[in-house]
Amino acid sequence: MDTKQLYQERLTRYVTANYNEKPDRIPLRIFAEEFSSKYCGYTNFQVAVQQELQFDVNRRFAVEAGIDAIQTNSVVNWFGMQKALGWEGITFPGIGIPVDSINQWWEPTTENNAFMKATEYDELIDDPTAFLVNKWMPRFTRHIKHPGEPSTFEQNMSLINGIMAYNHFFSTWGAKHAALIEAGIVPAVSSVLKAPLDILGDKLRGYINLCYDLNQRRDKVIEACEALMPHLASVVMGGADPSGQIPSIIWMHRGAVPFISHKDFDEIYWPTLKAIVEELWARGSQIIFYAEGNWDHHLEAFNELPEKSMIFHCDRTDIFKAHEILGKKFCISGGVPNVMLAKGTPQEVKARCKEIVDGVAQDGGYIMDASALIMNDARVENVMAMIEFIKEYGIYDSGVSTKSLEELTGVDHPQIPDSLLTRDHKRPPGVVFPWAEKRKELPAYIEDEALTRSVWEQIDRMGYNFCWVNLTW
Amino acid sequence: MSKLDDLFEAMAKSIIDGNSQAAGDLARQAIARGIAPMDSINHGFVVGINQVGANFSAGVAYIPDLVLAGAAMKAAMEVLEPELEKGDTARDPLGVVVLATVEGDVHDIGKNIVGTMLSASGFEVHDLGVDVPIEQIVEKTRELKADIVAASALLTTTMVKQEDVIAALERAGLRSTVKIMVGGAPVTRDWADRIGADGYSEDAVGAVHLAKQLMGIH
Repeated sequence: MDTKQLYQERLTRYVTANYNEKPDRIPLRIFAEEFSSKYCGYTNFQVAVQQELQFDVNRRFAVEAGIDAIQTNSVVNWFGMQKALGWEGITFPGIGIPVDSINQWWEPTTENNAFMKATEYDELIDDPTAFLVNKWMPRFTRHIKHPGEPSTFEQNMSLINGIMAYNHFFSTWGAKHAALIEAGIVPAVSSVLKAPLDILGDKLRGYINLCYDLNQRRDKVIEACEALMPHLASVVMGGADPSGQIPSIIWMHRGAVPFISHKDFDEIYWPTLKAIVEELWARGSQIIFYAEGNWDHHLEAFNELPEKSMIFHCDRTDIFKAHEILGKKFCISGGVPNVMLAKGTPQEVKARCKEIVDGVAQDGGYIMDASALIMNDARVENVMAMIEFIKEYGIYDSGVSTKSLEELTGVDHPQIPDSLLTRDHKRPPGVVFPWAEKRKELPAYIEDEALTRSVWEQIDRMGYNFCWVNLTW
Repeated sequence: MSKLDDLFEAMAKSIIDGNSQAAGDLARQAIARGIAPMDSINHGFVVGINQVGANFSAGVAYIPDLVLAGAAMKAAMEVLEPELEKGDTARDPLGVVVLATVEGDVHDIGKNIVGTMLSASGFEVHDLGVDVPIEQIVEKTRELKADIVAASALLTTTMVKQEDVIAALERAGLRSTVKIMVGGAPVTRDWADRIGADGYSEDAVGAVHLAKQLMGIH
């Protein structure tokens, strides 16, 4: 079979399962992070600093293992880009930490080192984009200054280098995305989302400071999440697959009990996330809930979402409980523990795969994957055992869906009355300097104002994306 | 209930509510009234910490409550500890703990909460931080004659170091002198048993119970 046919076969398999139908075989959508590097014989350091390798190791692993879908780039963090801009919040393997360690994030733990101070909620709420540039970036990076501080050579070059590296990274992404498809492998995800409360915890206040905020300034936390919603929505919708075939993804961190209370979930985490997911679905795109940790307490809430709008990924969540509560409406994925892939035997892995398939995959709507991103401690023979087992045991011999991609993605997408993107905003999502402002600094004569305006709005959107993609990262 | 009981109850409540201001104020009030600091600790503040722990285990308190309770306890102790020193008494620690996130791992939020709860519950905690070399853990254990080593790891790739810590303590001739507890997101009871740790806990409250158990305290 040539790679074009292989791609179509795999895409149909993947989309069918994502839309909770029964494909010809359980899809293998493997989120291999540093595992791909190990498989291909590279250290984590080599892959962290050589951007192209990040894409190439994933493609090579996927092709050789014969899986259906993989992220175009799972490692994602590139020394060249993030340290050019001077991100302080991330460490790279082989640079200060052992060579085969992994990219690790640092977050604020005290008020002093917070990227957003407790007294700055109103400033964030008033104009989130301006806050990112004026307050967040200067604290999150090494050289960027606050407005009013004297600018420096290091700051200016840091911005220039950082933006050049960012553009290079995403240009390469486009080419490598095409190469993955040409190799017959489905790119597993399109755009990325994080919940507003996770953004506050991960990137602005830090989880510990957020614990205090939930107790001492809860109203402001709610307002801040509401202020972040349109922008996070704009980023995830802007990058979503217009065909509806490839889902977006949300990395869900600390929205589950006991990281927060049931009340915090019900009143803050969930409502400010649900509205984004519903609007994304109204526009035609599914989203993978990559629910890190244990979300057993919240499955009933997720069941409120429109049918087929979400694919629920199980890390420590009980996959059988997830199937029982969510399985009628949504595809489920995951469930093979990473510890088992690292420390177990191929026999144990196969037994677990069988347990999952027998328990949750009989009617389709299941995708095989490890519980969490597979790192370089996973044994190759264990990962291959998981893959080879599904290729045999995961074949469906009856009731296979014959729906076309158009039929699968053409399901009902309930519309929502009031878009997050078009509500009244001081500085709307997707816009930093509107044309009306930019126009003032240009000469009175413009040959084709509509054309010039559209070019400006494209550039302005790129700048907007730079700020918000960095925050969502 | 006596006025003294009211005060102790208010102290416990300040911890349960995570109210650092109130905890500090009540500690100062107690000193002004001539109440022995150890009485404030044992009958007031520690009662609050224990209740928060029980509430957490019952599923009606959450990690943010532990964080705030720990901070409130710290606020109270900052007032009471100087008084203990003046009176030439010290709070006898329940045990000496060396706490660390293992080498190669820079995650610390869970570890910090464990440290806070252990400290609030009466342990003397020496937190070595993150990415701690094994040799440093061994040296500190020897120097402090630690009772417990508590090793945290958040990644499957770094939890192997917990096994290395145990092996290093054995080589140093310290294994029989110390209890080892492990924790962190990927860590399980099976893993703890497999590497020969003395205990495992899924959360900070469990860590306190485990530490007390390992010290023979009920």
